[in-house]
Amino acid sequence: MAEPDETQTVGEVLAAQGISRRSFLKFCAATASMLAMPPLMGRAMAKQLASMRRPSVIYLSFQECTGCLESLTRSFSPTLETLIFNVISLDYDDTLMAAAGEAAEKAKDEAMRKNRGRYLLIVDGAVPMGNGGVYHTAAGRSAEQILREAAKGAAAVVSVGTCAAFGGLPLADPNPTGAVPVSRLVTDKPVVNVSGCPPIPAVITGTLVHYYTQGKLPDLDGHGRPLVFYGNSIHDRCYRRPFYDKGQFAKTFDDEGARNGWCLWELGCKGPVTYNACATLKWNDGTSFPIESGHPCLGCSEPGFWDGGSFYSPLATGKWGRAGEMRPKEVAAIAGPAAGVGALVGAGAAAWARGRRRHSEQDSGGEED
Amino acid sequence: MKLSDIGVRVEGGGPPGGLGGGAVAILHEVLAMLERLLRTGEEAAIDLRSLPMAPGELDALAAALGQGEVDAVFDGGGRSRVRETAVHGVWWVEHRDPDDEIIASFIEITTVPAILITDPADIRRGIDGLRRRLAQDAAGREERGGQANG
Repeated sequence: MAEPDETQTVGEVLAAQGISRRSFLKFCAATASMLAMPPLMGRAMAKQLASMRRPSVIYLSFQECTGCLESLTRSFSPTLETLIFNVISLDYDDTLMAAAGEAAEKAKDEAMRKNRGRYLLIVDGAVPMGNGGVYHTAAGRSAEQILREAAKGAAAVVSVGTCAAFGGLPLADPNPTGAVPVSRLVTDKPVVNVSGCPPIPAVITGTLVHYYTQGKLPDLDGHGRPLVFYGNSIHDRCYRRPFYDKGQFAKTFDDEGARNGWCLWELGCKGPVTYNACATLKWNDGTSFPIESGHPCLGCSEPGFWDGGSFYSPLATGKWGRAGEMRPKEVAAIAGPAAGVGALVGAGAAAWARGRRRHSEQDSGGEED
Repeated sequence: MKLSDIGVRVEGGGPPGGLGGGAVAILHEVLAMLERLLRTGEEAAIDLRSLPMAPGELDALAAALGQGEVDAVFDGGGRSRVRETAVHGVWWVEHRDPDDEIIASFIEITTVPAILITDPADIRRGIDGLRRRLAQDAAGREERGGQANG
């Protein structure tokens, strides 16, 4: 099959790959439904996507484990994720591209020049700032230099994964490399945080599709995450929520409560303070999500989740609940020094989380309350 | 013990022989949309996955709308079924992935759902393909004619 060229529309590329218009319309309808758009929006989305030129995307990887890229590319079936990755012009991704060395750098420079002001920059991983940035270099330049240069000509930046969005594991105490999230360095371009360790593939592509079809980025919460996916806590959407409300908790992983599918709060579930779509979109082709498999939510889409104490300590006793002790560093790294720190105490966690969401919806100023 | 042996009582499905509150509300909405379609030609749709419905209520809704004259299936990255209900102009559209899991389902209020309509670009491709085939056929006949004469 001939390699698609940059003058072809998405529709032409799909037709050349044997993907029918009806199939494409079908997947757009499903995506519109997933994005909670009006039901007939799928048609407009398909029309817009099919007639547009293949959008240029540059994907940079810094301090990361490649789990986010695995999440994105390891879809089980030909879903919209795979469709989109067949039709976007992924002009640079040092993990996926065949070219290496100078040829790869040249491809990136050329894509940046040709699509200046139009390309989307996806960043995966935190940026190490310690010791002049020596902890991550490529082609003789530090991650910070590479990021700043690529962000200059980007239309918007999408921070994929908790490391890029909030610093993640690299930023975890004692943060030996001086890691910072992307939003700390890119301040003159829109930055969308698609957090999660890794994020759900449909959440990554849903954000891209929203941008391409609506011509703007989705509405964001206080942490810069698309509200459509991060608007509800895991707890609010958890099918085990009725057990929490009734005070029925599993005490160990093999007791009667665990076997009955009771709430995992006492086993350390961070669902009440974690915002993500796992409980509704689910994982592994919609099979399940961690709580459905009997494991508490780790809170992987929230800032500072590595430093929140044991994954298996209940929120009521963990560091997630002690304002001022653990979180200021992460909060400062994300929102800048002006950000304050909210109180979160024990059994009031869910109420706090809901209150914070309302606050975020009213004021998306990028600060944590 | 089989799964079917476990007694499950479905609550919220409405009174016996009747419809639950959620299904009745949707049917009223469908009625208003259908009247608007006839009056103005404006199409509409309801995303069935976005509605909080009690177990069994969706089945009750489907049963209330019934099966009409058209039942179309197409396979593109999973099976899709587009059927007109017994209420003309009300279509039940269900999309599945290759594992046969439902990925989207809608009630569409329209004269014909967009997914059934052939796209002009596809018609152009069809014309090109048919022309090529006829040209090949004509060339083959000429060749055979030439051999016979020779």
